Amino acid sequence: MLAEDFNLPKQTHDIFGIMARGNFISSNGTKDGMNRLYDIVNNPDNFDRLQAYFNVIRYNIERGNNFFYFSKLNEPNSEIEKKLERFERYIDIVDLLASMDNKITIGSRFRPSEIAEECNANVRLKQKLQKIPLYRSETLHNKVREICDLMSRDSFLELEDEKTESYKVLDSYSYLLDVINSVAIYEDSGNSDDAQGLIYN
Amino acid sequence: MALQVNVNDILSQLYHQRGVVEFLFANRDNITVNELLNREDISAEQYQKLKSLDLVYEYENIVSLNDAVVAMFEDFMEIGEVTPGFINDYINELNRHIRFYQEAREMRFLRSIKKYLKRINATLTREIIKLQKNVDDTYKNESNYRIKLQKLEDYREKRDTIIEFIKKTTDVVEETRSLFALTNDSELYGIVSALKVSLIENLDYLIEIQTDITDFINKIQFQIDVYKKAQRLKEIKEHGSLYYKTNFKEIVQNINTLKHNGHKTPKTKIAVDFLFTDDGHVLCKRIAEKYKLTRLMVRGIAGKMAGNFKDKGLEQQIKLDTEKLVERFLVQTKTNLFEYLMDYKFPKAIGTVTFEDRLSLFVEIAMEYQTVLDFKYRLQYYDYNETGSTVKKRLGYTLILPAKQKEKAKKEKVKKDDSEKE
Repeated sequence: MLAEDFNLPKQTHDIFGIMARGNFISSNGTKDGMNRLYDIVNNPDNFDRLQAYFNVIRYNIERGNNFFYFSKLNEPNSEIEKKLERFERYIDIVDLLASMDNKITIGSRFRPSEIAEECNANVRLKQKLQKIPLYRSETLHNKVREICDLMSRDSFLELEDEKTESYKVLDSYSYLLDVINSVAIYEDSGNSDDAQGLIYN
Repeated sequence: MALQVNVNDILSQLYHQRGVVEFLFANRDNITVNELLNREDISAEQYQKLKSLDLVYEYENIVSLNDAVVAMFEDFMEIGEVTPGFINDYINELNRHIRFYQEAREMRFLRSIKKYLKRINATLTREIIKLQKNVDDTYKNESNYRIKLQKLEDYREKRDTIIEFIKKTTDVVEETRSLFALTNDSELYGIVSALKVSLIENLDYLIEIQTDITDFINKIQFQIDVYKKAQRLKEIKEHGSLYYKTNFKEIVQNINTLKHNGHKTPKTKIAVDFLFTDDGHVLCKRIAEKYKLTRLMVRGIAGKMAGNFKDKGLEQQIKLDTEKLVERFLVQTKTNLFEYLMDYKFPKAIGTVTFEDRLSLFVEIAMEYQTVLDFKYRLQYYDYNETGSTVKKRLGYTLILPAKQKEKAKKEKVKKDDSEKE
């Protein structure tokens, strides 16, 4: 079967280029025309064709809430240690972002300096930030920067304006929220329900 | 009001200070008197004048536009807070005038009824548009999530109020149907039927807005819940029991994204055909440089072609043709220019030359080479068919012959060539 038989959109190459690196395509991303690529994948006709095409190399397009990513069929369950370590760190980061005065969530825009400033003023936050396992960052500001950089590389954030260092949270962030949401806590004593709508700072 | 005012005064003041008014409208609530007076387009005296007309007022050194002015602008631009209360006022007024009209069938009451019916229609639509805008805006831009939730709940209430007003209006219209039928007024009939249509339409919009609001609230609630959970997990993790008290391990094990499974981008061999293209060559060159292979560096790339090289070629060709054509025409004496062109056998490479093309060539030559041509200022006629049709037409043209002094023409030609060479 030839590539022409699939009648693919002409952006297939770009789509593959992003997703094959393990990155997400989010609907509110703007870099490299990401929102356009999202629309293309989101088109039902295109989606079916791309799915069929990529399935040949055992890649599967997964659809999330306003984002897409690749999963691999029949993957070997390797690197579990690394994976666990990674997601533990994601919990730390999501926890930090959730603890800001201004809850940082999908669509939010922020600057690393704002977070660093807030952490400086609040001991609890400062502790949280310092405990996130990252290396070679001495100042709080640099540490937040490194976190933002890491999250951008994982395509959860986007550096929207390099001059002002302003980041935007992409739709793919809800992937992390979904993962966290799906974790079940055993023997939950139920003490978290009494404070509905309130987040501890 | 501090002074007796009239529309003219207010309008002219607003107009003269339009820069200031615009500035104040854009920066509501945070302009101090000093800041304002530092602007070049207003003097202290003018500021006093504005103040005396109550168009601006001062409170603790902060200058604001009069609320009425702000409200007027907001109304026109369909922004600002949703204020369904107006509709209620209009409905009350409408009822009042209907009662009057029932007492005494006078035109003046009927006119008011029409006015309020129209106003209700316009205001309802406007309020709904504002509501929609504000709901969207709140969800997207309000950064404090507690206020965001509160605001959305408020909008939900406002929506209910508007629905209530729509029902009220429908009732009023229903009740007074017989009364309106009696008036036999076609304008009123038109207004009422337009109102009925837009009432139904507006109800649909409101239902849509309701789903939006619910959706937004749910999304926010979900995010809050997840954030709470993230904080719980973090706590558990700090206690070192993440693997024992939760199913974190299984969840993460089942995660199937490429990135988190250490999959590298698949590597494929480069197609041989690709290596023969220019892009492939660039690739080869880079590899050659990296590994210091001279063998791969031999073949170079041709320089870039201009993007419009095709058009350029074409233009040149036509130009050459005309010049040669004129030369040949000047040598002969048998026919005039028009006939010469009509009968001329163009080389096959050009393809078929239509009558219209020949005609435009005639005009072009007549204009460009007038120095070497002899214009006789006599008309001759020519019968022809337009290309692609069978209608016979007749065309008058000027008789043009080669100029008598061929020497002169040639000289000029030489001159021209020389100057071109230079």
